[in-house]
Amino acid sequence: MTLFAEQTCSHCGISFRWKGISGDGDNGTVFCCRGCQGAHRMICAAGLEDFYLRSGRAVPTVAEALPAPFNDTDLARYLTPEGDLCRFDILIGGITCPACVWLLERMLVRVPGVEHVSISYSGGIASLRFDPALVTPLELFSVVTRLGYSPRPYSAGRSEQEAQRERNDLLLRFGTALFLTMQLMAYSYALYAGYFQGMGEEMKQFLQYVSLLVTTPVVFYSGWPFMAGAWRSLKTASPGMDLLIAMGALSAWLYSAWALLHGQETYFESAATIVTFVLIGRLLELSVRRRAMSGISSLYTSSPQRATLLRDGGSCTVDVDEVRPGDLLLVRQGERFPVDCLILEGETEVDQSLATGESQPVLLTGGDEVRSGCVNVAAPVTVQALRPVGQSYLMRVASLVQMAQAGKPGLQQLADRVSAWFVPAVILLALLVCAGRLLYFGDSAAVAVMSALSVVLIACPCAMGLAVPAAVLAACSRSAGLGIILRGGDVIERLATTDYALFDKTGTVTRGLPGVIRFETYSGFAGSVVLQAAATVEEQAAHPLARAIARHAAEHGYQPEACRDFHAVPGRGISGVLPGGERVLCGSGVFLQEQGISPASELHSAGSATAVLVAIDGQQAGRFLLIDQLRTGAGDAVSGLAAAGITSAIISGDHQFAVDRIAEEVGVSSALGGMTPDQKLEYVTELLQQGQRVLMVGDGVNDAPALAAATVSCSLSGSSDIALENADVIITGDDLSRIATAYHLSRATMRIIRQNLGWAFVYNVVGIPLAMAGHLTPVYAAVAMTASSLLVSLNSLRLMRFNRHG
Amino acid sequence: MDESLIILIVLSLCLGTGCWLVFIWAVKKGEFEDVEKPKHRMMDDD
Repeated sequence: MTLFAEQTCSHCGISFRWKGISGDGDNGTVFCCRGCQGAHRMICAAGLEDFYLRSGRAVPTVAEALPAPFNDTDLARYLTPEGDLCRFDILIGGITCPACVWLLERMLVRVPGVEHVSISYSGGIASLRFDPALVTPLELFSVVTRLGYSPRPYSAGRSEQEAQRERNDLLLRFGTALFLTMQLMAYSYALYAGYFQGMGEEMKQFLQYVSLLVTTPVVFYSGWPFMAGAWRSLKTASPGMDLLIAMGALSAWLYSAWALLHGQETYFESAATIVTFVLIGRLLELSVRRRAMSGISSLYTSSPQRATLLRDGGSCTVDVDEVRPGDLLLVRQGERFPVDCLILEGETEVDQSLATGESQPVLLTGGDEVRSGCVNVAAPVTVQALRPVGQSYLMRVASLVQMAQAGKPGLQQLADRVSAWFVPAVILLALLVCAGRLLYFGDSAAVAVMSALSVVLIACPCAMGLAVPAAVLAACSRSAGLGIILRGGDVIERLATTDYALFDKTGTVTRGLPGVIRFETYSGFAGSVVLQAAATVEEQAAHPLARAIARHAAEHGYQPEACRDFHAVPGRGISGVLPGGERVLCGSGVFLQEQGISPASELHSAGSATAVLVAIDGQQAGRFLLIDQLRTGAGDAVSGLAAAGITSAIISGDHQFAVDRIAEEVGVSSALGGMTPDQKLEYVTELLQQGQRVLMVGDGVNDAPALAAATVSCSLSGSSDIALENADVIITGDDLSRIATAYHLSRATMRIIRQNLGWAFVYNVVGIPLAMAGHLTPVYAAVAMTASSLLVSLNSLRLMRFNRHG
Repeated sequence: MDESLIILIVLSLCLGTGCWLVFIWAVKKGEFEDVEKPKHRMMDDD
């Protein structure tokens, strides 16, 4: 296969080495395929050339977009009539940046008949409203396809619609609670002031009635989810946080309503603030769950919908579901393999990053197996399907992730654990007080019930509601400053209790990119001559090994010169002629042998390192040894965790010897290689069953099931979508030692939370006897509540001073 | 004095209710469904 010098596509920006297609006119544009040329022509004709200025060169290659295999009758099912217009939702694959959204919206809205277009950036879902008399859904699809994106009809899954409704519902409840509570606080401060300075009875009554008016919807509308939850936990006899909140809010409301009628002090603000604060937490939690769900759908997006079936000497396009094991399929250059299959004819390079985490394309020929979802990079191949789509790699991982998520034991959160014994204790105490007042002191039933209610009321202070969220908020903003993103508050608790850490190798502990570790010369060649020759020839090649050598030469001050007669053999090596006329070969030992040079066989390989041999004018001249380099801070991460008593291990899909070498370098004693996604998942579940709390750090699709199953999971920015969506902790930037920082921060946060809860209990210890004695006065309540809430908030702010080694 | 206070309180409630209605309208219209795009929107000049 002859390769051409590297060119860059003017539309999608990928580097390619085949004969490109020149653009219209003589403006130097060149395209990797017809699709890109078409897309470029469309964009220029529409006067939207600005797109190329605003996009970050991340346009999907047109080849990746599938030819529109849909027809109008298929698509008609997805239309929702809205008056004269139709609503049509499209899931658009390939949206990578805001410029994509900009371009698609503008192109679609120009189609006659389209009234409204709105594309969500995060989900890639376009919502269109159009006149079915003027334009058909298929025409809309073809606009999207011609731009290089892959459209699919989208019907929001029921669970997704449900989640959206739930979120809107909660948002309304929270908005209402916030607005009413703010109003209420103004009246409450007036009442506090009135208590000290004196206030007309009429005015006081008026303010109290207004307070009742604004508090009632907060407790019974905004607080309804807690009431429902409390009822459920009463029925199942499992007291939890919901019950505590419902009890606190209800008792405060009941007590205040009674007090209002009897001309005493009211506590409406305490009922309203508890509900409002806890609703904030619920809202955050829900948005975290929503992101996890979209992770699974992003995996489905990368699975092709249609396959090209070869039958009776011809080819036809079929739905992937119809592909049976044994069928012959054609996979064109740029397409994804639709099912797990065996290559029969042809030789190509395949991007297997989805399956192995390895970013480097691998040369595959007849007899090799390919997993579904991998991208065919170089040339069309004929393959034989091995498994139906449902049992192929991509769907297997997706179902593993779902299973792992569902099977994850629900961790009882700290607040729930505390309330599990706290709630019954409070109820018991309240009953005792009620009974004591009735029987021992001989008070009236009303007074007895009121005393009992006041015990419950004082037992649920705002400080308790603030104790956890305030610390979590401080921890999350501090960690963001340290380059760590924490997905929600429960992550902190799970991270803090970790006692086993598992790391993926390629892309996590290592960069997933080769680097030169050693350079040797032979046959009396000077190092400068060989490096200069290698720099010149390797500059022409796009292979990761070539790039690493060119980078190494550049770092030593060797700039490439003009190279003639460049030639590359995929998977073997390259050759070229220097300006001085010397012929240079760079490649594997096998490549040099094929070219008639016989390097000593011990030079072919060097342990786990990859050897690239250099020959000048038929003489072996030098050798580069390259290995996958460690990520910054990998050793620090392991030693930082070890210092806290956490055992680390590496689990990787790579060969055992490569894993062992890395394990030794970072100081990990246990390392397992050759693991499939299922085995990684199994390993994690095994540890979990032994009662360990597992932290999983990984970046690839193959790590996703293990990430979903682990007690707490961590990914790095730049990881695959599915890994990111399943990660509880995301490290931005390159430094792996941040995982140790995250761990220490989570420990510090838990310390603060315990202090906060401890303080809230001290408050109760003082408050409950007062309430039992019936001496609960608003002065005490106002001062103590404010003071303890302030103390809890300030204590939480101490986390903002946390530093990396903290 | 008391009357003016009462009028002001009722007035503030009315104002607040107005804002609340706008909020409900915004939620129903789906203003909060995609919070990712608007921040990129400002880069567009048309």
